[in-house]
Amino acid sequence: MRLRCALPLAVVLGSIAPIHAQDQGFAQSQSFLKTYCQACHIGKTPAGGFHLERVDKPSSLAAEAVKWASMARRVHNGEMPPKGAPKPTVDELEQFSQWTTQALRTEACAGGIKPGPAPIRRLNRDEYSATIRDLLDIHLDIGSALPADGGGGEGFDNAAETLFLSPIHSEKYMEAAKFATDFAAKEFKSRQKLLIAKPGPGVTEQQAARKILESFLPRAFRQPVTAGDVSLYLSLFEAARKQGRDYEEAVFFAVRGALVSPKFLFRVEQPNRTAVVQPVSDYQLASRLSYFLWGSMPDELLLDAAAAGKLREPAVLKALVARMLRNDRSLGFAQRFIEQWLGTRDLMGTKKPDTKLYPMFDNDEELRSDIRLQPVLFFRELLMQNLPVLDLIDSTHTIGTRNLAKLYEVKLPVPRDSANQPHWMELPPNSNRGGILGMPAIMAVSSYPYRTSPVLRGAWILDAMLGTPPPPPPPNVPALEEAKAGAPNRTMRERLAEHRANAVCASCHSRMDGLGFALENYDVIGRWRTEDAGKLIDNSGDLGPVHFKGSGELRKVLLDRKDLFVRNLTNKMLGYALGRGLTLQDSCTVDAIVDQVRNNGYRAQALVEAIVLSVPFRYQAPLPVAKPPAAPAVPSKLVAVNRPPKQIEKE
Amino acid sequence: MKNRLNLSRRSVLRGAGVALGLPWLEAMHATPVNAATGASINPVRMAMLYMPNGVNVPAWTPKGKGRDFELSPTLEPLAALKDRVTLFSNLWNEGAKSGDGHYVKEAAILTCTTIKKTQGADLANGISVDQLAAQRIAGQTPLPSLELGVTPVAIGVDAVVGYTRVYGSHIAWANPQTPLAREINPRSVYERLFRAASGTPVDAARMDALLLDRVLGDAKQLRGQVGTADRIRIDEYLSVMRGLEERVQRAGSGQKSTWKPKATLDPKGAPVEKPKDHAEHVRLMMDMIAVAFQTDTTRVATFMFGNSVSNISFRWLEGVSAGHHDVSHHQKEEDKLRQYHLINRWHVAQYAYLLGRLAEMKEGESTVLDNSMVMFASALSDGNSHNPHNLPIILGGRAGGRIQSGQHIVSAEDSPLANLYVSMLDAFGTPVERFADSTGPLAGLLA
Repeated sequence: MRLRCALPLAVVLGSIAPIHAQDQGFAQSQSFLKTYCQACHIGKTPAGGFHLERVDKPSSLAAEAVKWASMARRVHNGEMPPKGAPKPTVDELEQFSQWTTQALRTEACAGGIKPGPAPIRRLNRDEYSATIRDLLDIHLDIGSALPADGGGGEGFDNAAETLFLSPIHSEKYMEAAKFATDFAAKEFKSRQKLLIAKPGPGVTEQQAARKILESFLPRAFRQPVTAGDVSLYLSLFEAARKQGRDYEEAVFFAVRGALVSPKFLFRVEQPNRTAVVQPVSDYQLASRLSYFLWGSMPDELLLDAAAAGKLREPAVLKALVARMLRNDRSLGFAQRFIEQWLGTRDLMGTKKPDTKLYPMFDNDEELRSDIRLQPVLFFRELLMQNLPVLDLIDSTHTIGTRNLAKLYEVKLPVPRDSANQPHWMELPPNSNRGGILGMPAIMAVSSYPYRTSPVLRGAWILDAMLGTPPPPPPPNVPALEEAKAGAPNRTMRERLAEHRANAVCASCHSRMDGLGFALENYDVIGRWRTEDAGKLIDNSGDLGPVHFKGSGELRKVLLDRKDLFVRNLTNKMLGYALGRGLTLQDSCTVDAIVDQVRNNGYRAQALVEAIVLSVPFRYQAPLPVAKPPAAPAVPSKLVAVNRPPKQIEKE
Repeated sequence: MKNRLNLSRRSVLRGAGVALGLPWLEAMHATPVNAATGASINPVRMAMLYMPNGVNVPAWTPKGKGRDFELSPTLEPLAALKDRVTLFSNLWNEGAKSGDGHYVKEAAILTCTTIKKTQGADLANGISVDQLAAQRIAGQTPLPSLELGVTPVAIGVDAVVGYTRVYGSHIAWANPQTPLAREINPRSVYERLFRAASGTPVDAARMDALLLDRVLGDAKQLRGQVGTADRIRIDEYLSVMRGLEERVQRAGSGQKSTWKPKATLDPKGAPVEKPKDHAEHVRLMMDMIAVAFQTDTTRVATFMFGNSVSNISFRWLEGVSAGHHDVSHHQKEEDKLRQYHLINRWHVAQYAYLLGRLAEMKEGESTVLDNSMVMFASALSDGNSHNPHNLPIILGGRAGGRIQSGQHIVSAEDSPLANLYVSMLDAFGTPVERFADSTGPLAGLLA
């Protein structure tokens, strides 16, 4: 049981154990499998249909990579060996899963860096809003009527895999398209942008409408269109005229049609039908760039660069990245990326501090907005000023406003009349406010709404910052008890110590809690405190053999693990940029990006540049030949529906 | 920053003003009558209400069985409806017995299969029982089904257990890859019901149909250009847009539709967009289900009280001091168990409120509740141990007389929950031979 909690110690400590020579490591992995798995996974009917001979040769690391990865995961998560079977020790388990992960990475990268899949994906709610805004030049958050999108892949709501469509979307898209075109028809700026031709002497209505669509459709579909596309939407214009709509109404009707076209609603790339890796087209690269850094369609400059075939030059791309980051639209990128990566989007929802205990959060809209935007603006400042991303761990500056300065109990060195605006401000020495740790937003989303939790904060650091989430708790683990009425006031540390006395919990909690304790000086909304439950706060923490006191020393400990942090940030941003979950293949790209970022002093723009210049971002894999599962038909009467669990287990 | 403008606020109900509360319904229509027998023909409705985090088992479990049973403390809010509900013991979903504590159980509560562990790339569940029913009666009502909730979809991936939170935010699945998005804004729901029931004017519907026809043509052409993997997405698009096209075409044909609203919605009655608190939000959603069923705008609805692992704070509820998930890990402590029970009972009370509303809605000689099946379910029994056995399940209503309500059915230990679904699908008029691991209809339920 104990092992279910185990975390790869070496990974957490950042002191990656020396990787054994491939063959020596392989021999050890085989001996691990023989000891703990052989009892069930050999013979004519091996358990789960999995026979160890599938993984008994070094070549299987390439041929059976998926199987290997799944073995490492299941062993690491304590799913295997099953209950009742002899369990490996923590060290054995960690060595096995870590060696496997590394060996698979090495194997995957042996064939060079590959682009990976680029599935078509629907514009998510934010992208839809922003695209309609930019396309029609109207200022409406029109997507707010759509259902919110979930998230997948690396945890973002732009992941292709989880952007599905429901019947409600079809209704909302139709309504939104009508609303947007009706609105645009009355706006001077939109009309000017759209109605570039007029019927008149020598110009028939049809010719004018065609001209309008020839200019509008490539922008709406974000790539050149065919004569067939134009005819199709022109036919909507003609049909509307036949139905008695006037000329302009008919033009806007055709525009409305384009706004519900899959070519508008989805980001579609021409598939690579050759047998080798190809660069994506210039227009597609323009879209990839603009949805990455702006969350919207490419602007004229980008489209012009695409038309001129200039986007493939690295120097042009680098200059573009700098220009795009300076543009106001990159604030949306900073917000979407930071709030989803760090989880601060939940600040207004499930992680909202308790109304009664923290009334200021409910009552003071300005404070609430300052708290929410602080990490976003901080990150954007790193991008704009091209500061090291390690400043997220610790920095000499922060984003301050009048409200935040009050919360921090520091003086804000800005003129009073603009003190409610966010400022990039230098912190006093030893302020305990450098980087994201200690920011109210971060402290709130890693707490319960009504109290702090060293466990949640420790798990938050392991997951969000270091990318090494703790394994799931074993079943039947009790949660931490609340302070009972009448019971003597005990500090969180005392209460957690009882928890950690349980051997099942100790193996993980010693790691989570040890990190979280160092942040105990921050309350739920990030205010500094020195007492909890009437007792002085003991902010000493530990991580393995390393002991430290308070958030300042914790920051140093995290800086010692900067490679883990940068790798995790790279994973997240690459996943966001590609709009999909990363695969084993992508780990080679990540390695290369991390090297470049390190060689450039960890500069924020170096990270964005390296992603934009990476193979998966600029290239396209050949279309896979594998067939996807057929979309199931509506089951008719008297059929069996859904596979029973026993059948699934066998597969 | 953005000039936020909610579409719906400006649409049909422009100037409708503030919520007027109940009643929302105007004229009642006569119930259709079977010419041969003279019996009224009322459609059967199906709603599924899902509560996260399991129950305080001792406080939940009713005493006695069959018709001779007593409501437990948690079920006490159902006292006035005792003869209209059916309680179940010993049902479970075997496919969800392992995996993790929450997602695997909760995503599969209506599919009874085993979800695939994934961060999203290869989402796999089954088709949910409500969607199976809805797809089988497609076209009989203006809306195929309603998917409702009160909290937004949970964001991202739960890296600790390795599941995308999409699983934890959806119980209705159109097919194994496609969950259905939920509506959480009561005003939008009302407006949607209103629009669907009142239909589009013939001329506008004709234009919409025309537009959809061209756009679908564009999609078909695009389908031929993309790779096979991407076709799934285009097929999804084709499927939802065709559904809309069919509805619009019916409206645009100018012919009298065979469907008639069984009651008419008050266009001025739209509820608030942002309810003042969780309790009001849930109540309004219950009202929306009631209204949808009474008008017969749809016959299928699902509702989620919260997402998987929901830790909504219940400190506003008298006697409760923590969040929902927190309390569910009660460690057998008396105080936490008491709070757990209070939270459970509050949920049951909301369910009772919905049943009460439906019971007030006359439908000929019967009531809407008599013609409905309204399930209340959690995917765990004891949340402390994530126990998947003996799930807390209640069924309200009689499905037009098919269900023998007013009893506590105690099945053999670990009987498939899917058996209940087989019986419900039968009562709904859309029978299946098997549903996931079902072994037959649930003994003792159907008349």
